[in-house]
Amino acid sequence: MSKQKVNAELNRGFNYMQAKGEVKFPYYVGIHSLMGIATREDRVCVLNILGGESRTVTPVSHAYSGGNVVCGTMPGRSGEFMKTPVGNIPVYNNVLEAMDAGHRFNVAVVYVPPSGVRDSVIEAVRVNPELKKVIILTEKVPVSHSRMIRQYCQQRGVDVFGANCLGVADAHQHVRLGGALGGSAPEESLVPGSVAIFSNSGNFTTTIATYLLTAGWGTTVSLSSGKDVYIHFAAPEFTHAFHNDYRTQAAVMYIEPGGYYEHDLQFDKPVVACVVGRWKAKLTRSCGHAGAIAGSGDDAEAKERWFMKKFGVDALYTLENPVCSAKGAVVTNISLIPQALTEVMAKHGIKPDFPPRGNLELKPWFGNNQGLELPSALSPPLVQAIAPYDDQIKLLSRQVGTIFPRQTMKDCSGASRMDPKTQVSRIHNLSILDASTRTFEENLVLSLIREYPDATGRSLANVALNAYVNQSGTVGLAAADAARAAGNSPNTVLAAAVALVGPREAAAAKQTITVLLDLFVQSGLEDPASTGFDFSAQLETAVAQEPIRAALLSDKVGKRGKIMFQGIDARGAGSVFINFLRAFAERTGGKIRDDVLLGAICCHLGWVPLLRKRLSVTTVKNLPWHFRVYSTLVGSTVSAEHQDEKSYRGVDLGELASSWSFTETAFLSLFGHRPADQELFSFSVLLGLIITNGPGTISAQGAKGAVSADGPEVPDRIQINKGYIGFLTHTGYAHGGNGYEAIQFLVERFRNSGLEDPANPSHGLDLEGMALAYAKEYGGYKKKAKAEGDLNYEKIPCINHPVFKDKDVNYDPREVFVGELFEKRNDYNIFQDFYHKLVHALHKAGVSKKVYCVNVDAVIAVLLLKMLWKSFSKGEISDGVMETAAFTTFLFGRMMGSAAEIDDHTNRGRNMDTRTVASQCSYAG
Amino acid sequence: MQITGMSWGAKLLSYVGFPTAKVLGPEATKEAIQAVIDEFGGVLIKPIFKGGIGKKGKAGLIGKATDVYTALKEKERLYFAEHRVGNTVAKAEGVTFESFIPCKHEVYFSLTDNTQFRAPTMTITHRGGVDIEELPKEDIAVVPFDPLTGFKGFIVNNALNKLNAPNEIISPLVQNLPKLWDLFHHYGMTTLELNPIRIMEDAKGRLTPVACDFKCAFDGDDPNMERLGLSKDLFNVELSAYEREVNQLRTYQGQSDVFVINPHGTITAMTFGGGANALVTELLGDAATISSDFGGNPPYAKMKDIGRITYNYWLKQSNVLFIIGGKANNTDIYETFRAMGDALREHFSTHGPTPLYVVVGRGGPNLVRGMGYLRDTLDSLGLPYRIFGHDSAMSEVVNFAQAVDEWMIKGGRQQIARKLGISE
Repeated sequence: MSKQKVNAELNRGFNYMQAKGEVKFPYYVGIHSLMGIATREDRVCVLNILGGESRTVTPVSHAYSGGNVVCGTMPGRSGEFMKTPVGNIPVYNNVLEAMDAGHRFNVAVVYVPPSGVRDSVIEAVRVNPELKKVIILTEKVPVSHSRMIRQYCQQRGVDVFGANCLGVADAHQHVRLGGALGGSAPEESLVPGSVAIFSNSGNFTTTIATYLLTAGWGTTVSLSSGKDVYIHFAAPEFTHAFHNDYRTQAAVMYIEPGGYYEHDLQFDKPVVACVVGRWKAKLTRSCGHAGAIAGSGDDAEAKERWFMKKFGVDALYTLENPVCSAKGAVVTNISLIPQALTEVMAKHGIKPDFPPRGNLELKPWFGNNQGLELPSALSPPLVQAIAPYDDQIKLLSRQVGTIFPRQTMKDCSGASRMDPKTQVSRIHNLSILDASTRTFEENLVLSLIREYPDATGRSLANVALNAYVNQSGTVGLAAADAARAAGNSPNTVLAAAVALVGPREAAAAKQTITVLLDLFVQSGLEDPASTGFDFSAQLETAVAQEPIRAALLSDKVGKRGKIMFQGIDARGAGSVFINFLRAFAERTGGKIRDDVLLGAICCHLGWVPLLRKRLSVTTVKNLPWHFRVYSTLVGSTVSAEHQDEKSYRGVDLGELASSWSFTETAFLSLFGHRPADQELFSFSVLLGLIITNGPGTISAQGAKGAVSADGPEVPDRIQINKGYIGFLTHTGYAHGGNGYEAIQFLVERFRNSGLEDPANPSHGLDLEGMALAYAKEYGGYKKKAKAEGDLNYEKIPCINHPVFKDKDVNYDPREVFVGELFEKRNDYNIFQDFYHKLVHALHKAGVSKKVYCVNVDAVIAVLLLKMLWKSFSKGEISDGVMETAAFTTFLFGRMMGSAAEIDDHTNRGRNMDTRTVASQCSYAG
Repeated sequence: MQITGMSWGAKLLSYVGFPTAKVLGPEATKEAIQAVIDEFGGVLIKPIFKGGIGKKGKAGLIGKATDVYTALKEKERLYFAEHRVGNTVAKAEGVTFESFIPCKHEVYFSLTDNTQFRAPTMTITHRGGVDIEELPKEDIAVVPFDPLTGFKGFIVNNALNKLNAPNEIISPLVQNLPKLWDLFHHYGMTTLELNPIRIMEDAKGRLTPVACDFKCAFDGDDPNMERLGLSKDLFNVELSAYEREVNQLRTYQGQSDVFVINPHGTITAMTFGGGANALVTELLGDAATISSDFGGNPPYAKMKDIGRITYNYWLKQSNVLFIIGGKANNTDIYETFRAMGDALREHFSTHGPTPLYVVVGRGGPNLVRGMGYLRDTLDSLGLPYRIFGHDSAMSEVVNFAQAVDEWMIKGGRQQIARKLGISE
């Protein structure tokens, strides 16, 4: 018995199992003609409609197809809607619920993650007897699931497309089902014509359609088949429907190696087959398409031969040797398809559908030789892009700054992150360890403009921050003092003051930035520190415009403006914008308003990164508001009795603006004196280490939540000061105030030690003895507590760490980094020394099995205590003052990280994106 | 992801109770080998290869022994044996000792997904033990079956009857072969082949099918295979360090398939789409460091990680960074270009600049914004570049990248290095 006969008999029962469709096939095929593949009558249900991919694709498909999606499903999201340009699409928990709500549909589009595809398809087919087409977009569906999908849908009489495909589209009927053929602008590629496309590659389906336009060919149906092992609607089914579609005169088939789908095809109409992947014969596993790995006899060369035989040609179609017949041509490069098709069709006397649109020559849209001398072939001149991209490129050249795409920013940040392995956090991709070696003012600026300012920028920042630090006579300070008197914690006190730095407080400075951007963006000004820049044209424009005069000028010189000009001159900080304002005042005879200078300084700081598109315009316009909050937050730590119209904590305001760094001012606010070099360095390190612990930290969550609640999709409505209040209310005695525990612990150890100078390595104390004595005492206490069943016994603060704990002797790399930093400066700290002796003593005394690490929190405590020790030991400051200083230091440091989160969330977030869906919340009643 | 040989095959078959030859690993003691020889009359000594090794080229790589001395001698010969087909070389890592299975019949059997039937399909012949391609077609039955009901005894029975197989082997095979469906379907296999199955007669004259060689391929996308608890080492041998690192990023949104073509290549192509992958890889040939497909709309963070890893491995040696794809349907060009641009900027800031010409060809959503971002990044890094839209033929853009590569080799690289202020 012949093989065919043996197998035909054996397979007889197998084919009986299928539903009955097109008679040509022994198995079920429901599509008779390509006209029926994507029709205006089709009604669609999208499974997992609110998933990431569907969210961008479905609204476009729906609008392009005249609103053919009747509903979508997504577990737990019933009652929600998907917004589209042609109306909302309702969402249900499952297909059954959608049907119970009265929806009827014959197409299911599947965006479900791979593990759920099989069950979703079976369920959709099971409950909906009207379902006739299933389109699976999902990639990486297991083969074992595809087997089941195939058989189940065969028995139920359902055509399946995919998986791992981009769906189908009909340019004549203006319908696309499933995926994103034609991308976000389907009309550009899906131009009605006479050619059908069948492609194993989703991307090439669209790319081929675009290429065909260059030879004047439009399309009827574009079908992205997918290239998994199972191609459910494959070349034989396409060919059958292609023959039965009177509109379609020819087909283009893009074919990859693997599988015998094309082996037995017979064509009644012309076809250009593009067979690629000869090189893939070398692969031992798939790369790209799961099914594009050849077994025996189905590699690219074999497939080329199959098609050549069908077309009666003896060679591939190439530019040098354009071999084709009336039946077709075989190419191996998609760019040859248009030409080959035209030649094949010419043999039938058929001309292209319309005049060619464009061509496929090399057309660089952007390019730069960067001053290199390149051969002319490698330096093709730039070409105007095709519409509509030419207009977009023109707009791009006018666009200032970047625009970040919006996404859900819950627990996500574009500003900070923590490396779970090293526990070192980064701010704008800079390690906080590195940030801790920079000054407070530098880091304040970095947190917003994503890079450090240069020397001029630093000077200007110091001028602006110091000019606004004095809060004397403000309602904010009155509120802060009242909050202080009521016994509130430092964060609550400062929140009261920050609440009063509302949008109106920053409006004038913001307006200044708008004016300066309008005047200078197209001026060619690259660096505002280049004071030789000729701004005469901008000056003329400004002088001529009344609204600009109104925005920038006042009839008298303000107090702060005077101080700022004084500071700028004293520091020699040249800026084009400041010079421009001076010239403008001179020409008009007016006086520059206080906040205008603040705006100009902020514009200076943000200018370079804005032009390099690292910042958005929103960020730059909000800079003055952040600066006002920075100054208010620091200034309000000092009560009204220590600041007046002329001085701040006893320092003349002019002197502050002219010669103090903001780090020094912050130190002054907390400790009452100008820091010595070592104190200044310690203080900067301290603040730098606190900047951020990533977006998951409570303070960041508070700031992000406050922004989210205002709705960042309309960024002008975000109340920046409220963002800081969110940060402040999300700190407290447990988060921020806990640094004091370690200080308290150290104070207990050293209170009666007679220690005078913690920086003196010859302190004369027996630290090892002290540590061992305490370790033994603690060991006894711990043993007793455990024996009594008290597992909540007090732990020694700032030692041990859940990550750095597995070695015999453990170190927290962050603490080591800071230790080495001070060691290089010969800057001794007795408290840090004690901590190191203590962890060894605990091990020696048998309290710990391994030598614990001293963790990074200890660094903060020992630096702070060292600063305060002399005053404390003399009885000049109380425990309470010390606690406030510790807490407030934390707030200063974390203010920088919070600023970054507020700005980042304003730029990237979506409205109310920090909420947790009800299904993920739990009830503990 | 393939397994060949009985070292692992016997373990997998034992999960479903399919009889196998007695198999000892390379650590087998003399006593254990002797015991097998005593029971079965001899042992076959076969090298253990990881991954997929075909029959071709295996000649001379099987030892035969009826005494322990010869068995150990053969072990010594085959322990690190090399299997070479063309340029592909596999090195053995140990040997198995497999018992002789005396028999009258040898059967070929396989389960696989057949693209002609689009169904799981059994291939069987009672004339096994040789390459199936060598047999006359009428001796082979190829039978698709319904995966919803599974692989049943009647499928085997019908096929063997039609093939006129000896009656005595039908019943033992009908009883045992259906067990293999469980292994095939429920543990994520795409192919399972036993050749030969030797039909062994026991003392009472009963016949039992015994698997004497094993080959299977797993579906990397099927989580069911993880239930087998196979060591990742079994498959990792096929992967380079770069491939392994990128593979860790494999998630359902966004492809991240890579294949190292030439570790000494000079064009690193970040390719988007399976089609573009095929075309670009074909045209670039050995100039390419990698073949890749990063399409499928990868999110920013994933794309940036891919960029970081790829630059770490390949940028230093590359003349051309080539970003290429067709007109994307749903891959967001702004997101992917921003991610690759940011990764490039960070690479330069951590590793220092490297002489590079950047060639880009792409279309798709948010195209101009994406190109604009990349342009700004490349300008700030001082790298020369050309960015083409989807109205330039992809193959022409590939040719352009190759021409740039040649210019770089002939002194362009030094020119760029001087411009960047670095020594080469």
